Amino acid sequence: MTKKSMWSLKFSTAALVLIPAAIGINYLGKLFAELLRLPLWLDSIGTVLSSMLAGPIIGALTGIINNIIYGFTASPVSFVYAITSGVIGLVVGIMAYRGWIASIGRALVLGLVVGVIAATVSTPLNILFWGGQTGNIWGDALFATMIAHDLPLWFASFADSLAVDVPDKVATVIIGFLIFRNLPKNLTHMYDRRSEIDRL
Amino acid sequence: MKNGTFYVEKASIVHNVDPLSKLLFVFVSVAITYMLSNQPVVSGVLAFTLLLLLLGKVLHNVLPIIGLSLVLIFSIIVVQGFFHPDRSTVWFTIGSVPIYKEGFSYALLLTLRVLNMVCAFGVLILTTKPDDLVQSLIRKGMSPKIGYVLLSVLQILPQMIAATGKITDAQRARGMETEGGLSTRVKSFIPLLTPVVLNSINDTRDRSIALEIRGFNSTSERTFLHETNHFKYGFVIKILLAASLAAVIAWRIFI
Amino acid sequence: MKSIRVEQLKYKYPGSDHFVLDDISFAVEKGEFIGIAGENGAGKTTLCYALSGLVPHFFKGGYGGNVFIGDMEVYTHAMSELTARVGLVFENPFSQMTGAKFTVYDEIAFGLENLGVPRGEMHRRIQECMKQLKIEELGDVNPFSLSGGQLQRVAIASVMAMKPDILILDEPTSQLDPQGAEEVFQVVEQLSAQGVTIIMAEQKIEKLAAYSDRIFLMNQGKLIHKGTPAEIFSRDDLDVYGIAPPVYTSAARSLKFRQDPTANLPVVLEEMPTSGLEKFSLPTRHVEVVDVKTAEIVVSDLCFGYEKDAEIIKGIDLELSGKPLAIIGQNGAGKTTFVKLLKALLKPHKGKITVVGVKTTDTTAAKLAAAIGLIFQNPNDQIFKSKVIDEVMFGPLNIGQSPETAEANALKMLDRVGLASKKYENPYDLSLAERKLIAVASILAMDTKVIIFDEPTIGQDAKGKVKLAAIINELYAQGKLVVCILHDMDFVAETFERTVILGDGRVLFHGETRAAFGQEELLRDAGLEQPHITQLAHRMGYPGILLRKSELH
Ligand SMILES: Nc1ncnc2c1ncn2[C@@H]1O[C@H](COP(=O)(O)OP(=O)(O)O)[C@@H](O)[C@H]1O
Ligand SMILES: [Mg+2]
Repeated sequence: MTKKSMWSLKFSTAALVLIPAAIGINYLGKLFAELLRLPLWLDSIGTVLSSMLAGPIIGALTGIINNIIYGFTASPVSFVYAITSGVIGLVVGIMAYRGWIASIGRALVLGLVVGVIAATVSTPLNILFWGGQTGNIWGDALFATMIAHDLPLWFASFADSLAVDVPDKVATVIIGFLIFRNLPKNLTHMYDRRSEIDRL
Repeated sequence: MKNGTFYVEKASIVHNVDPLSKLLFVFVSVAITYMLSNQPVVSGVLAFTLLLLLLGKVLHNVLPIIGLSLVLIFSIIVVQGFFHPDRSTVWFTIGSVPIYKEGFSYALLLTLRVLNMVCAFGVLILTTKPDDLVQSLIRKGMSPKIGYVLLSVLQILPQMIAATGKITDAQRARGMETEGGLSTRVKSFIPLLTPVVLNSINDTRDRSIALEIRGFNSTSERTFLHETNHFKYGFVIKILLAASLAAVIAWRIFI
Repeated sequence: MKSIRVEQLKYKYPGSDHFVLDDISFAVEKGEFIGIAGENGAGKTTLCYALSGLVPHFFKGGYGGNVFIGDMEVYTHAMSELTARVGLVFENPFSQMTGAKFTVYDEIAFGLENLGVPRGEMHRRIQECMKQLKIEELGDVNPFSLSGGQLQRVAIASVMAMKPDILILDEPTSQLDPQGAEEVFQVVEQLSAQGVTIIMAEQKIEKLAAYSDRIFLMNQGKLIHKGTPAEIFSRDDLDVYGIAPPVYTSAARSLKFRQDPTANLPVVLEEMPTSGLEKFSLPTRHVEVVDVKTAEIVVSDLCFGYEKDAEIIKGIDLELSGKPLAIIGQNGAGKTTFVKLLKALLKPHKGKITVVGVKTTDTTAAKLAAAIGLIFQNPNDQIFKSKVIDEVMFGPLNIGQSPETAEANALKMLDRVGLASKKYENPYDLSLAERKLIAVASILAMDTKVIIFDEPTIGQDAKGKVKLAAIINELYAQGKLVVCILHDMDFVAETFERTVILGDGRVLFHGETRAAFGQEELLRDAGLEQPHITQLAHRMGYPGILLRKSELH
């Protein structure tokens, strides 16, 4: 048996079909969070799951396509963040492959890393497109306070993004991890890129 | 999102333009407004975009889409208007709070850009059938598999949303509360979300099988059921768009 | 040349070490109709996968032996080469749609586009198949707005358009209501008459007996017996393999039609005599059934609609208590809506419902959970735990049972549905039929006074149905009120003494099941049929209403 690389660009049908399902999960995570009035977005659980199941490329594709579809069907502003979503999928996929979902403690670290990276990628986009805000009331209040105190724009904007992204991504990765860990074997097998036919 | 996309079926000159030209238009229009910090020019681009919406008979349909970006616009006006780092020219004062001209002028520019971005995407998504766009991209060389993914989301999502009502009922029938304090609501998140996740991942097996047996991985040269729609003016529009983008870039570099 | 040749086929799924297909060999002639019978888990689906190439190409795993489609060896050919030769249609009608096409016409074209069929040819084939499958008028409709029976015909059309030599149908009607199932069977019959080679796994034994040239009886991955329907269903040991013979065969057996014990019994209605029961009288019951006092639901003048001015429930008055009750009626008659109202998941527009003394408008579904349990049609809408036992304990814990009691109750009920040995498994590693039983256990463990089942028999095999009937009777003996929505008239006749017929939001009949099935005109208006056994007895001259196989003597 050969171990195929996580970067393989030959997608199995199962992995491709996972993308629309994951985008649906993203949307429903957000829907239930709104329904239950939770103070988080939880709108990338599907992206995180697809990365854990099928690797960084499928994860990144899920993230990007998610925002494109969301742009078409809900709010064009989300096109801008397609890059962020793609990077989230990429990072989770790589780190999951390297063992960062072996335990809940490691998943917590993964969540923090994803949150910080998401904020880092979003900051230049926020500065370029809307002068630094995120559109989230609490984060933007922090941003306003910081620039009123003449802190540098990039710094205030980064802080704004961090405040918004880190708690959300930590919760998202933890939830994704809990669901992933409990998935039945006969489903996870489908995405296993290493499996081969064993001729008896 | 429940009813699929924003596409509005109408007969108009904008509907008849080919999808790829509209896609290019979105890109060029957004790029121009972000390359130039000149309010009158940006206003002009926005006015042109609005004109296209008018020609496409979808001007009023863009309002709800703008509505979704209102929080962001509001935040831009407040934050940039009041707290912009450049605070030298006092425009006027409300009570004892000074309002600075620089901030507001910047906020206005940003607002115009955001509005133009939303409206430019509006031109694309309100007047283009998603399958037409995807078909055009596939003919231009995009992988049909990615095309499949893009289109299937639009069909699968409403199915998944329809399942949420049943799941909520099923869990409430087993005594789970969805109302109450934060901890009650947090606790019900997993029992609500997990069934859809399991269900949809389980369905991916059936759906993969359905695709496999319909020759999804076939290596034959694929054919198309529908002929290319005869969209008009594609070539001319693309040239014009490319030319305007080039002009703006030149302006930025040389002036 | 044989259409299909299978030689010593062995297969195990990845990560598992037992053979799901164990040394299977057979050959099928062109134009034959082969039925596959066997209980859930026998390996029918896996065999269908093996014939269409999904095993091993999609599922991987351990694969031995050979399968030939015509002269093409499955193992050495890719899926996309095989799909032009073998078409597969399976249980779930929704997940067979590709999801990327917005009309039925385009959906059927999907496979043809992939295979590179020229445009003119494509249109020709699609139109031909739509006609063949009687879906011409659905061409412009979005597939996801169709009924199950229509969807299943679209699925068949989609594979038939690819012009396969062989059509494989894996329980194509198991998730459909009787009307949808009938639509599908009609087109299957027609395709077979046109000479298509068909392999069909199916639990509806009467249909299998009527259509098949030969039947393959499977059990635990082995091919037990290949033979004509008469040979197979005349076996005395069918219950060992978890299947019941056609009702005609059991009737013939009870009426001692067979003088020579080695001779075959009739398996279809046409083989049964048209007389012989003129003087038949129902046996008197030896044991008088004691009437048990149960919890009570009182419904008065109930009205409800999902949208204004479109009432679904149009004034229902019912007092429910005592013997288990079956609710029957066509799709859209309002059955599920009615039980959701009982459970307080919906609030009446008018009228009132009292469940064990509590008015449903004064409470919530969650609070009512301790009094009334509702088992939904689709278990996948509720399952979220990774161990069967935890899933079953979720409800009991919610309504305040202590962890010890909850666990004891859960174990008892898992044992009752026959899943005790699988308590630590992941529900999604089990079959849909088993997940359905988990959902049953998860409600029973809440120990409610009233239990409502919505379509419990869909997807169950003969064994599963026997188990459900026993559970229903036991619950009644414990003083619980059982209400059951059903489409399976044979099951209603065998199990329930009382029946409500719902039609267009009203109660059309409430009373003895025997009387209910005597209302021929009313049944026709409500779009319902008499049970098979009733029809058979009628054909044989019995003037009354026969309900159970055990009543024949
Ligand atoms: N994807 C799968 N992975 C692992 N085991 C499976 C899978 N599908 C079915 N099985 C197992 O294979 C056996 C036969 O199942 P199946 O072919 O579905 O039988 P049937 O169609 O007769 O109900 C069962 O024990 C089942 O648990
Ligand atoms: Mg099966």
